[in-house]
Amino acid sequence: MDTLERIKQLARKEFSLEAAELDAAAPLDSLGIDSLSFIEFMFKIEEEFGVSMSDEDLKGIKTLGDLERHVAAALAAAGKA
Amino acid sequence: MAARRVAVTGAGVVSPLGATLEEFHRALCDARPGIRRLPDELAQPSGVQVGAPVDWNPLPLFKEAEAANLDRATQFALAAAGQAVAASGLEIASERGGVYWGTGLGGAHTLEAAYKQVYGAREWRLRPLTVPMVMSNAAGSNVAVRHGLRGPFANFATACSSSAMALGEAMRVIQAGRADAMIAGGSEALLTPGTLAAWQALRTLAPADAANAAASCKPFDKRRQGLVLGEGAAAFVLEDESRARARGAPILALLTGYGNSCDAVHLSRPDRDGQIRAMREALAESALAPEAIGYINAHGTATAVGDVVEAEAINAVFGGVAARVPVSSTKSLHGHLLGGAGALEFAAALLPLLHGWLPPTAFLEQPDPACRLRHVPLRAERADAPRAVMSNSFAFGGSNVVLVAERA
Repeated sequence: MDTLERIKQLARKEFSLEAAELDAAAPLDSLGIDSLSFIEFMFKIEEEFGVSMSDEDLKGIKTLGDLERHVAAALAAAGKA
Repeated sequence: MAARRVAVTGAGVVSPLGATLEEFHRALCDARPGIRRLPDELAQPSGVQVGAPVDWNPLPLFKEAEAANLDRATQFALAAAGQAVAASGLEIASERGGVYWGTGLGGAHTLEAAYKQVYGAREWRLRPLTVPMVMSNAAGSNVAVRHGLRGPFANFATACSSSAMALGEAMRVIQAGRADAMIAGGSEALLTPGTLAAWQALRTLAPADAANAAASCKPFDKRRQGLVLGEGAAAFVLEDESRARARGAPILALLTGYGNSCDAVHLSRPDRDGQIRAMREALAESALAPEAIGYINAHGTATAVGDVVEAEAINAVFGGVAARVPVSSTKSLHGHLLGGAGALEFAAALLPLLHGWLPPTAFLEQPDPACRLRHVPLRAERADAPRAVMSNSFAFGGSNVVLVAERA
């Protein structure tokens, strides 16, 4: 499964969203993901992928697509990709 | 302008005796116990043998992911408040509605899981929702969010009187015209190994009754050995009476008296005078003579000292009438809900008003002569159409809260 699909799967579970609602380009707040639930979601993303993202990274994440790019970069940096 | 009176227009219950008001009342009428042996994973590390857990499955009320983000105490709160709002037909998502809630410990399960991870597994990476799940106002705040209640909010943490105080203070808010309706109640969920161990250290919990674990809590009985911890929640919709009548709301009772005192003598030893002051204040506010009280739900925790002091206090307040006022401790069936106790027992006290039954003190076979009261032993009794009822909540810390409710 590719990175984006794993992220979407986690998001579906965490936020009880339908697959159709998960547009990689949609702003996270339009999916009903507020700042608090976003932080909790990032915690789970870090666990899922075994990566660590800085506060600075988090600020740049506005969509699931942004998240995929940051995770991919973190995986590459960690030599896992 | 006449003072605004406060109607109870909805009630919700999540308890060891069932997860609706109706189930709870039926279990009290049947004297069906909710106390049982605790599972090994709780009993072995803590040494606590019995408790009164709620049979709880958060699904389908909550989605799986949602339940994972709400402490058990908050899940109970949302469930009970949802029932109360549905029963009352209340529609008040505005600043004219508020939430006053009570809890002793807050998110005990979440806190203990975090400590276990940190000190047990030495894993310091905690989930970000730990703080908003643990904080003691989480339950009430989630209720406010769920129902869009943007008016007065408070969370009371006065141990065993917390939720009774939430009810009394919510009544004040409506009387003062600061809100038209309030959700008030309390919740507690602390049957965790660590919390149980802390309670066990106090040497105030009853061991399992050798013959019948369900009968381990025996308030007012010579054989009593202490309290049994329970969990759950109860919630009420309190509403300005004239508003409630105008919208044709069901009116379960009127909340007309609230007494609040502090012993200010000792953190854990109960004080007769403090209890007397609270009962007298509640009676005075309701403008009822003692003989108008047709049932008292006692605090009655089944500790050696507590039951005697409460019996003395009731006798002092009710004088010659005390011999005729039925008194019971329903903790014999549902255990002690601590921060949720006052609210759940207020729900128990509504049983005589709503259905004409007096809930019993179960297992009261050998009344202690030092607890000279007109008991309702063993089984529920028909009530003689009581006009009013009283519910006592006396807490560690010396906080005493007494509520008086009248037939609508």
